[in-house]
Amino acid sequence: MTTPRFHRLEPGSTLAEDWFPGTIPENLVVGADCRIDSSFCFKHYYSAAPIGLTIGDRVTIWRTALSVEEEGVLEIGDSCYLANASIVCSSRISLGARVMVSGGATIADSDFHPLGPAARLADTVALSPLGNRESRPAIDARPVIIEDDVWIGFNATVLKGVRVGARSYVAPGAVVVRDVPPDSIATGNPAVVRGATSS
Amino acid sequence: MNARRQLENDWYQGGIPANVEIGRDAYLDSSYAFAACRTERAAGVRLGACCGVYDRATLVVGPDGEVTVGDYSCLNGTYIICRQRITIGAHCLLSWGVVITDAGPSPDTSFEARSAALTATGHGQDRGWPCVGEPQPVTIEDNVWIGFDAVVLPGVRVGRGSIVGCRTIVDRDIRPYSVVVGNPARVVRQLDPDDTESARQRAFQEHLRG
Repeated sequence: MTTPRFHRLEPGSTLAEDWFPGTIPENLVVGADCRIDSSFCFKHYYSAAPIGLTIGDRVTIWRTALSVEEEGVLEIGDSCYLANASIVCSSRISLGARVMVSGGATIADSDFHPLGPAARLADTVALSPLGNRESRPAIDARPVIIEDDVWIGFNATVLKGVRVGARSYVAPGAVVVRDVPPDSIATGNPAVVRGATSS
Repeated sequence: MNARRQLENDWYQGGIPANVEIGRDAYLDSSYAFAACRTERAAGVRLGACCGVYDRATLVVGPDGEVTVGDYSCLNGTYIICRQRITIGAHCLLSWGVVITDAGPSPDTSFEARSAALTATGHGQDRGWPCVGEPQPVTIEDNVWIGFDAVVLPGVRVGRGSIVGCRTIVDRDIRPYSVVVGNPARVVRQLDPDDTESARQRAFQEHLRG
């Protein structure tokens, strides 16, 4: 038997012959002709916002974790291609149109845990099997904005508060912790701007 | 392409395409490795004898792509993304999160070319990997070890016996028996070329069961 590689992405639907026994959440707005390989992409989608995820037209999502916390809002523009990446959103992550997020890339808008030792220790307790997750200490989060026509390479990382300017290229393996101006090439860890993209 | 083979007790129901050749005594965790394998070549993927393909190892292969993996090589959660030709030698150790790709944009690619590829792929049912730039074959020679999350970029040849450290970005050829680390990769050591044919025969005598 063959399973289809991609299914039509529709809010509230169950995908035919999905290997993962999940459903597509209802609080999404999805444009025309979007495709996804499995509901597994939503395994860590907990957004309680009226619209937690807005997707444009002709978007492709393949093996990508769309991890959105309760307060999180994620936006994905037209003709984006997300391939085996991780989007970890606790406040807001916005991808413009024609953004490629390549395999192994991670985009995150928070620190995941508090930095201070006492608060971090408290977080280990709140996250433990016996802990109360509602009581987790405050964690710093700042929105991430990826503008139109940005290419994010294999195993690259874009961290909280960063804006990547339009048409820029984030090289494979780059760790982006500061804003990248439009039309730039960002490489290395920490990423530095090394030249301008051609056009 | 009709006769997909199913592995016993496979959690994924997609099966293995007919044009994937699997050598004797090779081991595959799951046919999930081939969920994005679209090659139409007669021998699109060839896995050598006693290869191991473990965990989330994945071969994303375009319609014209050909991937060869030599005997006794191990793909442990490795991503092979091939439009034309990726050749992996024998006795290679490829770790989790490693990406080996023969196509994709370079820093010099215009944003128009990148975005045209994204616009082109967003139609219909079969959403292939966006095609940017000309493919450039990649060769990993025999007995190469690549550490986790490293990336080997299009056109690169990694020489025999080399070690690529974790998270290294390899954007140019690596001479045999080198140790390379960093982003971009730099050579930090040379190794003894002691992996002779007699060493290999000795390994077979001493390290194979029964």
